[in-house]
Amino acid sequence: MSDQAIDRTELPIRRPPFQGVVERTLDGSQPDWNYVAPLSPPEGAPNILLILTDDAGFGNPATFGGPIRTPALDRLAAGGLMYNGFHVTAMCSPTRAALMTGRNHHAVGFGMVSEFAGPFPGYSAMLPKDCQPFVKTLQGNGYSTACFGKWHLTPDHMQGPGGPFDRWPNGLGFDYFWGFLGGESGQFDPVIIENNTAIGVPEQEDFYFPDAMADKTIKWLHSVRAHDTAKPWFTYFSTGCSHAPHQVLAEWADKYKGAFDQGWDKLREETFERQKRLGVIPADAQLTPRPEEMPAWDSLNENQKRVYARQMEVYAGYSENTDWNIGRVLDAIEEMGDLENTLVILVWGDNGASMEGTLTGTFNEWTMINGLPLTDEQQLQLVLKWGGLEAWGTEMMAPHYSAAWAWAGDCPFQWGKQVASHLGGTRNPMVVHWPQRITGQGGLRSQFTHVTDVGPTILEAAGVPQPARIDGVEQQPMHGTSFAYSFADPSAPERHGQQYFEILGNRGMYKDGWWLSWMMPRTPWKVDPETIKAFAPGVWDPASDPAELYYLPDDFSQAKDLADQHPEKVRELQELFWREAEKYHVLPLLGGLTTFFGMTPPLPTQTQFTYYGDVENVASGMIPKIFNHSYTISAELEIPDGGAEGVIVAEADHLGGFSLFVQDGKLKHTYSFVGVFEYKQESATPLPTGNVSVRMEFAADGPKPATGGQVTLYVNDEPAGGGRMEHTVPVRFTGYAGMDIGRDNGMPVDRSYADKSPFAFTGTVKKVVFDINPHPSGEHEQELHEHAHQALAGHAITA
Amino acid sequence: MSDKHKDVLIAAYLFEDLAKQDFDAVLKLAEQKTITVEGVVLVQKDADSQVHVVETGDHLGRKGATIGGGVGLVVGLFAPPLLAATAAGAAAGAVLGKFAKHRLQSGIAEKMDTALPPGSGGVIAVYDTDGADAVDKALANAIKKSVAHIDGTSAKELKAGLAEAQAGMGG
Repeated sequence: MSDQAIDRTELPIRRPPFQGVVERTLDGSQPDWNYVAPLSPPEGAPNILLILTDDAGFGNPATFGGPIRTPALDRLAAGGLMYNGFHVTAMCSPTRAALMTGRNHHAVGFGMVSEFAGPFPGYSAMLPKDCQPFVKTLQGNGYSTACFGKWHLTPDHMQGPGGPFDRWPNGLGFDYFWGFLGGESGQFDPVIIENNTAIGVPEQEDFYFPDAMADKTIKWLHSVRAHDTAKPWFTYFSTGCSHAPHQVLAEWADKYKGAFDQGWDKLREETFERQKRLGVIPADAQLTPRPEEMPAWDSLNENQKRVYARQMEVYAGYSENTDWNIGRVLDAIEEMGDLENTLVILVWGDNGASMEGTLTGTFNEWTMINGLPLTDEQQLQLVLKWGGLEAWGTEMMAPHYSAAWAWAGDCPFQWGKQVASHLGGTRNPMVVHWPQRITGQGGLRSQFTHVTDVGPTILEAAGVPQPARIDGVEQQPMHGTSFAYSFADPSAPERHGQQYFEILGNRGMYKDGWWLSWMMPRTPWKVDPETIKAFAPGVWDPASDPAELYYLPDDFSQAKDLADQHPEKVRELQELFWREAEKYHVLPLLGGLTTFFGMTPPLPTQTQFTYYGDVENVASGMIPKIFNHSYTISAELEIPDGGAEGVIVAEADHLGGFSLFVQDGKLKHTYSFVGVFEYKQESATPLPTGNVSVRMEFAADGPKPATGGQVTLYVNDEPAGGGRMEHTVPVRFTGYAGMDIGRDNGMPVDRSYADKSPFAFTGTVKKVVFDINPHPSGEHEQELHEHAHQALAGHAITA
Repeated sequence: MSDKHKDVLIAAYLFEDLAKQDFDAVLKLAEQKTITVEGVVLVQKDADSQVHVVETGDHLGRKGATIGGGVGLVVGLFAPPLLAATAAGAAAGAVLGKFAKHRLQSGIAEKMDTALPPGSGGVIAVYDTDGADAVDKALANAIKKSVAHIDGTSAKELKAGLAEAQAGMGG
């Protein structure tokens, strides 16, 4: 069937009409071989490689003047086009939702991240069926499709083997998926998901996720080409880098030894000069000043300077490694002869560089997420505890650099991730490469473009329309505008003339060159109750937040606030923002999520969880909620003659988690309070053999956040040991590490069995039962529930 | 030797050169007689938790002192096994035992053993307690400091025992 004869406006595409002849027997029948041919995209449709990196700033990659060597990005820019007016939403899931669907993030339920499914249309974290990703359109038109790396669009509570799977990558248009579903992953010990199955933590010693991700991508591309020499493919290469934990082999980080000793103030000036020299920012652009919340580099002591410099060395090495892996994928495509007709769109960062490491940076990002503010001195002591500076970037830490490095990486703009009101959070480098179609290689494009434009651009390039219906569901039109018009003409008038921005109360409104910045007065890395209190319902009036006004054609970096000179323009854009907010389900503004106070979900009814002995890799967001109150873990074991050893149940690792295990014949329990404190208890005597029941009871001091309490170990219902835990984790142990029965996959909770990891139980774990309902009263239960919900919101802010 | 109560201080460092800088600063206080010092030792704990003495300083602020006298007291309170190579005979065993017992009973052992994680550097000093403020200021680059105490009489006894063992007289 010819291209023209295919109606691509409705998916799935109808089977073609049979063009042959059918008689009673083969005698006289005429075959129609087109009837069995697979559906193909329009003739000449390109392969498409969409690359998205994570938590990175406009001023990070060398291609855009930054200090991090990015030869693959250079190569694409030299053979394609650079865009310096491209925008994202200022946060992970929201950008990804807008990228995949071509619709504004709130309109598809992603005003927030997938860890936090809220009870309003703009914050549900549930991609609606009437806004299907453009990938589904490509797949339905005959593309082979695959996604590698970070996904972050499946609601946190739907990431188990029970599904539902319609919001996993395979349910949204991808033939193949290999990566992780959440917002972050360890680079050395990820819990890998392949299609709809958690395949767990790789056990090979030299495993490094970013390298493996490129290997998997190349292998898939080779396989597709081996199957069909001409079939177009779509690959979404979505790196976990450069999100925390910043982990990379020392050989990458050491390439930058000494490169940041000059500090963030000087680095920003150097980047700014290079940006001008390269022409990626206008000659008249101004460098915006350091926020007063951040210290001057010169004010730091020697220890701070050295530790902070290493933080940035690791981040830079981590990022350069990702560029190297992008280069490997490009090489493979070139080797297959496919690069000429491959449209590559590379966006460096799903939001600006992340300030969530707080001012000090942190050895473990989960200290901040659990509301444990650490002083600079404490951070240094914990760095010392976990192996010193050499361990920064290894699996021994889950590090994140100082917020001031993020600010430097967002050069020349103000602020960074989360701050949707300013370009530091929203403007990221983009490069487009398509040798067969793009002439004028090495050119710069400055039209206003937005992440919702990527989907429409790809569909235009593929020559397929936005479908009116998919699977019988009428589709909402995409909100973005194709920027393919800019490929040939650097001075073409921009077509995306208006765009709202909003994340957690930080607002921006762009229209025809004007940008209203309406930032809520909250420092991005502060999520403590005192700070959040100011944004509670009835307290915070978003309309009274101070507004700034910039005219970008004359002021590339938002350095000259014109609000006082043009109050009428401020009012106009403010009113436009509220209209857009209503139209796209931005309301109610969350204001640091305080509007959810008092709006906690119904209390869960399940309080007992039973795991049989072969359960592994329970998603970190789906483990029983043992936080902030008493709980019990009991297990039924079979211990052979001669005894047994190994893990009964374990969650996460030494930087936060728990393990109930048998070692040296004794029952032991280790609890890591986010790597700051470890509590260990053990039975006084060895376990008997045969059928043995063991139990760990935590009797909380009271149902309250981070409560201390008493642990008692029981063997066959007799007390066998115990001890006190002064603090417990109030929110969550980890962003990715799973819970396992009968073993401790990935990094161990207790380093004493690290040499035997995963320390599988040598007897039999018949089952493990969690009881999380020993609350003393319904009132306490409700209080804790509200706390947990708010705390989860705190976590979601940083995902 | 002073009979005053003494501080046994251990300071932990991320960087060896900064530890050395502070080590020199404390020795200077001793040399200037701003404080009364028994001894100061610069150590490194390797990844396997083995402690290595990098440099020593005595009560007069002189570097390179042998592990005897005040320096021996410092080393013995921190890591008694390091004394083994400096003493001989039956008295050596006895004095090591005394150090070990004192460390345990005074609580010094617990503090000392946890103060320096593997891979870190440290400065250990024993000095009269009234010099605490000056020493604290001198150790400007320390990441963490732990202080234990020892009375003057015990310090004197331990030093005497060590001297005896090191002279080999008890053999």
